[in-house]
Amino acid sequence: MGAAESSGRRQFRLLIVDDSNIMRRRIERSQRFEELEVVGTAGDGLEALELARRTDPDLVTMDLTMPQMDGIECISRLIAMKPSLRILVISALSDKATAVQAMEQGANGFLHKPFTDRQLNDAIAELIS
Amino acid sequence: MQFSGSDRNGRLLIAGAAAAIAAVMVLVLIAGFRLATQIRASVGALQRTSSLQTYPAVISQQLTALRQRLGTLEYTGHVHRELARTVQNFNRRLSGVERRNLDPAAVRHAERLWQNYTPVLAPVLAFSGEPYDDTDTGSSLSASGRKYYDEVRQAGIFAQGNAPVLHSELAAVSAALQARTSAAAARLRTLLLAGVLAVLLLALAAAYLQLSRARQQRAAREAQDQTRDILKTVREGFFLLDADYRIGAVWSEALTHLFGRSDFKGLAFEELLRDKVPADTLATAVKYIKLLWGERARENLMKSINPLGQLEVSMDNGRGGKESRFLQFDFHRVMGPKGVKHVLCAVGDITSSVLLARELQEAQENAHSQLDMMIGMLHADPLQVSAFLDSAAAGLKHVNTIMKEPARTDGEFRKKLAGLSRELHSIKGEASALSLMSVAERVHHLEDMVAELKAKSDLTGNDFLPVVLKLDELLAHLRGVREMTARLVSLKEGPAGEGTASLPQLRIGDAEAPQAGRPVRATVDLGALLEQLAGKLASDHGKQFRLTLTGLGEVPAGYLDTVKDCAIQMLRNAAVHGIEACETRRTAAKPEIGEVRLEFRRLEAGYEFVFHDDGAGLSPEALKEAAVRKNVITAEEAAALDNRAALALIFRPGFSTRDSISMDAGRGTGMDLVARAVYGLGGKIGVSTNPGRFTRFKITLPAAGAASAVA
Repeated sequence: MGAAESSGRRQFRLLIVDDSNIMRRRIERSQRFEELEVVGTAGDGLEALELARRTDPDLVTMDLTMPQMDGIECISRLIAMKPSLRILVISALSDKATAVQAMEQGANGFLHKPFTDRQLNDAIAELIS
Repeated sequence: MQFSGSDRNGRLLIAGAAAAIAAVMVLVLIAGFRLATQIRASVGALQRTSSLQTYPAVISQQLTALRQRLGTLEYTGHVHRELARTVQNFNRRLSGVERRNLDPAAVRHAERLWQNYTPVLAPVLAFSGEPYDDTDTGSSLSASGRKYYDEVRQAGIFAQGNAPVLHSELAAVSAALQARTSAAAARLRTLLLAGVLAVLLLALAAAYLQLSRARQQRAAREAQDQTRDILKTVREGFFLLDADYRIGAVWSEALTHLFGRSDFKGLAFEELLRDKVPADTLATAVKYIKLLWGERARENLMKSINPLGQLEVSMDNGRGGKESRFLQFDFHRVMGPKGVKHVLCAVGDITSSVLLARELQEAQENAHSQLDMMIGMLHADPLQVSAFLDSAAAGLKHVNTIMKEPARTDGEFRKKLAGLSRELHSIKGEASALSLMSVAERVHHLEDMVAELKAKSDLTGNDFLPVVLKLDELLAHLRGVREMTARLVSLKEGPAGEGTASLPQLRIGDAEAPQAGRPVRATVDLGALLEQLAGKLASDHGKQFRLTLTGLGEVPAGYLDTVKDCAIQMLRNAAVHGIEACETRRTAAKPEIGEVRLEFRRLEAGYEFVFHDDGAGLSPEALKEAAVRKNVITAEEAAALDNRAALALIFRPGFSTRDSISMDAGRGTGMDLVARAVYGLGGKIGVSTNPGRFTRFKITLPAAGAASAVA
């Protein structure tokens, strides 16, 4: 998967934020979009902000419960940095209030953990369409 | 909405048609009036020209009459005058004819003809005097008479010759006039006909429009009726929200039933749910509604994060109280040309399905807990279980006795609650020691209810009803457990009929006839019970400790229950509060595995029961703080306590250092029960501690009560 060889077709830069290493890898491997380029993975909110500054992603998958800075705050800061950013929240939190809060801060989609590959790809497809 | 627009158009069309009818009628009237005026003038002229036609013949006749009279010498004066008058009239009338309506050439021709009369008639008319000479022999024409006669004769001949010509000329004039009048009359007729036709056509058009408008209105009315029927019959509450999150003017009748109100028009969505849901839920709901208007709100996404998909609301039940119901809100965005126009909300009452789902879940949990119970019982000694069941049955019987005791005052009710607490607590302790979690959880729940009652002021008998119901449930459950134990025993011990299948009723240190008051509870093998509880507590709380039991065989039958209850309570306290986690112990340079000792021995007078753990010990300051926090004593009282008195706080009712309640600690019913039980037997209890090193309880019991416990 050399980024250079097909970078011509890749229009979306994806940043994956999740405190679980396994989950980050899972998301990275499961997404099936040729137009997506994973530009970084972050384990907490602060790291995500730092990476976003450096890599200028178009799309972020965001966990909510994370050390350092939680997902909700990270979303609002990312949106403040780049309003056109599209954020897919991927969280195990089942209470709807958190989801509503995330949407309010600027998230564009919501995916519950655990999820299937298909659900992940459908959610991403909706975001980049 | 869509009907009223076309209705307005229809009305405009009809009004236009009516205006056109009026305009056509005015035009026809004006034109008709002018034509009629013209015809009227023409008819007048026609009459006058018609009357002129007779004059040439009359003049000719009068001239003939004048000649005959002259010939017969008769009087001619009056004929002459008549002729003169006729000529004069003719002159006047001919010159008075209105040329405007006539063919001027024809008139001029007639005038010229008439002018030819003048030289002939003038000498006749100029005659004056007497034409006759009267003599005795008779009369004869005078000279002037003869001349007059000749002139009259010549004029007569002329008139006779010219009269038809002049007559026909005048007839031509009047014929032309008549033709013109007829033409005008024909035009008038055509005009009237056309006007009537136009009006008819327009009237037809208006009628058609009116008809189609009526048809449209009927269709609109029918559609409205259908909409109303739908809104009346549909079981969901439907309404539209506008961009200000307010309810529109139309809603389904179910909404009225769901919310018990009908003033929805313009009501803010927030107001619909206010006081019916907790404040944070309301805030989330409002945020969600706002999100629906946003660009990012895709239908699927919004559906998946809908916080009102299963909303518990508290409603008036119509009898002055509140009841809990479950509502399901669905939201659909109605798009207009400029984005979201409305949000359609559908509300349904899903209480019964939610309750059903809960029941199912409960049933499932019950099945699980039964399975757990069975597995637990497979591991437990059936003898112990059955002994516990006997003991629990006896305890509950005692509870029953307590509940039946008459009580009126608040104090008496509180005494009941205290008795309940003690019994429940010891049943729970034994149940968890035997890993009968289904029983322990039920008792725990009962304890919650009792605790709630304790916190209540002004107790009445009715407050106890839910407790009684729960107690019944517990009894039923215990019966279930007993049945299952019986089955297990029969499984383990082979087919029935071998004489061992019946449940053994084990009693250690069998008490003979129980004394009045509290029945003697059957007991289990105390050592095994405590070992099992210790193992369970250690694993539940992540502690490691060794339990050493000494002299339990010495416990006399009358003290067995108390010793067991006390030992369970103290063991629980030691495991939860006393023994530290391994790391803590390591850092404190203590052996990682804790040490808990329980010693029972006979003294010269009575018995001694020592419970020792090498845990964290008791801190007088921490105890005081906790007692103040739990409102057991005031801050001033706390400040006045010395260390010894502070340690004694743990024997006060309601005291606990825990802020949260778990299965094993926090209720504050514990050491007070131990102390009470000990005092009840006439014994004493003391505590000594070294913070960080150990806690030791020493209980002394008199020899007298050893045979059987006194309530």
